[in-house]
Amino acid sequence: MNWHAVKRQLNGWAILSFLAILLIVLPGIVVLVELFAPVNDNWQHIQEYLLPRYVRNTLFIMVATGVLTTVIGTSLAWFVTVYDFPFRRFFKWALILPLAIPPYIGAYTYHGILNYTGVIQTTLRNQFGITVDQSYFNIMSIQGTVFIFTLFLYPYIYTITRAFLHNQSSSMIENARILGRGSWDIFFTVVIPISRVAIIGGVSLVLMEVLNDYGVVKYFGIQTFSTAIFSTWFGMKDTSSALKLAGTLMILVIAILTMERLVRGRKQFSYASTKVKPLKPRPLQGWHRYAVFAYVSLVFAIAFVIPFTQLTAWTFLTFDTVFTEEFWQLVWNTVRVAFTATVIILLFALIIANYTRLFPSNMTRVISKVTTLGYSIPGAAIAIAVITLFLWLDDKVLDLARALDLSQTFVFRTTLIMLIFAYVIRFLAIGYNSIESGFEKVGKSFTEASRMLGWNTVQTFFRVDIPMIKGAIMSAFILVFIDIMKELPLTLFLQPFNFSTLATQAFKYVSDEKIHEAALASIVIVLMSGLLIFVSHKVLDKEAD
Amino acid sequence: MFVQINDLHFSYKGAHEETIKGFSISITKGEIVSLLGDSGSGKSTILRLIAGLEMPNQGVVVVNNCVCCDDCQFMPPEDRGVGMVFQDYALFPHMTVEKNIRFGLHKLNRKERNARVEEMLALVNLTEFRHRYPYELSGGQQQRVALARALAPKPALLILDEPFSNLDTSLQHRIRDDLRRLLKQTGTTTIFVTHDEEDAEALADRIVYLGEGKIKKQVMTENNKTFNPQIPCFV
Repeated sequence: MNWHAVKRQLNGWAILSFLAILLIVLPGIVVLVELFAPVNDNWQHIQEYLLPRYVRNTLFIMVATGVLTTVIGTSLAWFVTVYDFPFRRFFKWALILPLAIPPYIGAYTYHGILNYTGVIQTTLRNQFGITVDQSYFNIMSIQGTVFIFTLFLYPYIYTITRAFLHNQSSSMIENARILGRGSWDIFFTVVIPISRVAIIGGVSLVLMEVLNDYGVVKYFGIQTFSTAIFSTWFGMKDTSSALKLAGTLMILVIAILTMERLVRGRKQFSYASTKVKPLKPRPLQGWHRYAVFAYVSLVFAIAFVIPFTQLTAWTFLTFDTVFTEEFWQLVWNTVRVAFTATVIILLFALIIANYTRLFPSNMTRVISKVTTLGYSIPGAAIAIAVITLFLWLDDKVLDLARALDLSQTFVFRTTLIMLIFAYVIRFLAIGYNSIESGFEKVGKSFTEASRMLGWNTVQTFFRVDIPMIKGAIMSAFILVFIDIMKELPLTLFLQPFNFSTLATQAFKYVSDEKIHEAALASIVIVLMSGLLIFVSHKVLDKEAD
Repeated sequence: MFVQINDLHFSYKGAHEETIKGFSISITKGEIVSLLGDSGSGKSTILRLIAGLEMPNQGVVVVNNCVCCDDCQFMPPEDRGVGMVFQDYALFPHMTVEKNIRFGLHKLNRKERNARVEEMLALVNLTEFRHRYPYELSGGQQQRVALARALAPKPALLILDEPFSNLDTSLQHRIRDDLRRLLKQTGTTTIFVTHDEEDAEALADRIVYLGEGKIKKQVMTENNKTFNPQIPCFV
C-alpha cells in the first residue's frame, strides 16, 4: 500500500468507526485483564466449591434448551412452509409471537399458574376435591428452567429456518419429490442438511439468550454463571472474583462461537440464488392434517395464549392498585431510554456499516467482527465491566476536579449514560446486522453513481444511501427497540437510583412475591413487543416481495 | 492529448497477479474508444480506475489537463469530471426520471439547472416520462435516463460499462446508432467497454483489444474514416 492509499483509509468514516469500536471493546478488555489478576481467597473458594456447579447447571440448561428449541423450531418451520393446514397463514407469523414474552415474565406467569394458589390447583381442589402432589407441579427446578427457555426462545430458530426454507429450498425439495422421496425422508436427507447453517445460527442465538438470562434463573433459584456473578458481586462484595466469573463466562461464549464456525466448516453455503422462488405449500390429507394442526396449536397455546391470558386476568385483578401516575412514569422511562439507546445504536451501526462497505480491507473485516461481538457477551459480564469502568472514570473526574479546584464534579455512574452505554455495547450487533444486510442487498453501484455525479461520501450517504436502505433502518430500529424494552439484567443493575423501567418494576414486584401486581407492566411489554414484531414482519414481507 | 493514461497497474486485494499490467492509452477530444475483451480481461477494471472507483498500484491518469491520479495524489471520483453509465444503470429507484437527471447538477444555479434538465430530457426523448420512476420504464428507456444523467453535468469524459448487455438484440442495433449520433452531437469523449465485436464496430472510432490486462492491438473502425478522419492512429 502506498501512502495515498493509507491517506484514503484515514477518513472521517474510519475515525468515527474506530472511536465507536473502542467504546465497545473497552469493557471486554476490563474483564479479560481481570482474568489475569492475582486471585484472592474468595476466588479459591468459588473455584473449588461453586464453579463446578455453575458450570454443570449452565451447561445442562444450554444443551437441553438447545436440543428442544431445535426440534420445535425446525419442525414448526418445516410444517408451516411445506404443508397446507387450517390457519396456516395465521400460524406463520403467530408462531413468532412468543418472542414478545421475555422468559422471566413467562417464568413467573407459569409459576403463578402451576403453584398451590394457581388456577390449575385451585380448580382441581375446589371443583373436584383433588389435592395433587406438589412435586409434580413445581416448575422452579432446572427442568422447569429448560421448559421456560424452550417455550419463549424457539422462535429464534423458527424464524431463521422458515425464512431459509421459504426462500431457498423450493427447487431442492421439489426435485426430491420428483425423485420419489417421501416427506419424512426429504426432511432428514434434504431439509436438515441444507438448512444446517440457518439452524445453527438460530441455536447460537438461543444459547446467547440463555447465557444472558438473569431473570428466570434468579427467580427459580437456579445457580448459573449469571446469578453467580451478581451474588459474588453484591453478596460477597467481591468485584474481582465477579469479574473473573464474567471472564470465564466470556471464554465459554467464545468457545461456543468458535465451535459454531468449526461445525459450519466448509459448509458455509448460503444458496444465495437471486431467483427466490417460494415453495408452494402442499395440502395435507386425513389425520395428518389434524395432527399437524394440533401440534402447531399446542405449541402456540402453551408458548403464547396461556401465559398471555393469565397475564390479562391478573392485570384486571390488580389494575386499580397498579395503574397510577407512577405507572405512566414507568412507561415514559422505558420508551425514553430505549429510544435514546436505539437512535445511538443506529447511528453507530450506519457509520460502521458504511465504512466497512466503502473501504473493504482486513481492518474493516476485523471491525465488522468486533461490532457483533457485544451481543455474545452476557448482560452480567457487561454490567460488571461497565460499572468497573465508570467507577474508574468517576475517580479520574474527581481527581481532575480536585486538581482544578472545582467545587462541583460530574458523576457518570448516577446518570443514564452508564445504562445507555451498556445497551449500545450489547445491542449494537442487532442494529448492525440488519443495516449491513440492507446495504448488501442494495449493492454499491448507486453510491458509485452518486459519486460519479459529483457528490462526496457524506453527501451521498444522506442523499442516496440512507433513502435506499430505509426499510432496513426501520426494521433495525424495531428489533433493537424491542430488545432494549425487554432487557432485564443490565437495566436492573445499571439503572440510576429512583429510576425504573417496566421490566425492572415487574421484576421487583415478582421478587417481592407480588406476582399479580407485576402483570400490568408485563403485559404492556408483551403488547408493545408483539405489535412491533407484527409491524416488522409486515415490513420485511413487503421488502421480500 | 485530451485523455492520457500511462503505465497503469492494478491488482485486487489478495490477488497474486495484477489484473492490469501496464495499460497506456491516449485519446483525442471527441473520440469514441471501445475496450474489447473477454470477461476477465480487465476491461471493466480499467473503467473503474479511470473513474476513481478503484485506486491503481501505480500509473498516471490525466483527463482534460487535470491530473486525476499519479504517484502522489489520488483525486476522489466526485472531483474528476468523469461521467459514467453503469452496466445495471444504477438509476436511483427513489427518484423520478427528472430527479435522477437533476441529481448531478448541484453546481449550477436553479435556472441553469432547469434549462439543462429540459435539454437532456429532450435529447434522449423522454420529456413526457419525466415524472415516472425508473421501475416504470422499459430497459431501453432506463438506459437513456442513465445516459442523460451522466451527460447532464457535461463531463469531460464519459465512460460506459457494457452499455448493451441488458438490452435485447433487436433493441441493441437501434440504440447503438442513436447513441453514436448523440455522443457525436454533444462532442463527448467516450470510452466504453464491451465483449461484442459488432457493438464495438458500430459505435467506436477506435477499438482497443485487451487481453490479460494489456493492450493486444488497436484498430480504427469504418466510422472513424467517415466521422473524424484527423484522429491519429497508433496501431
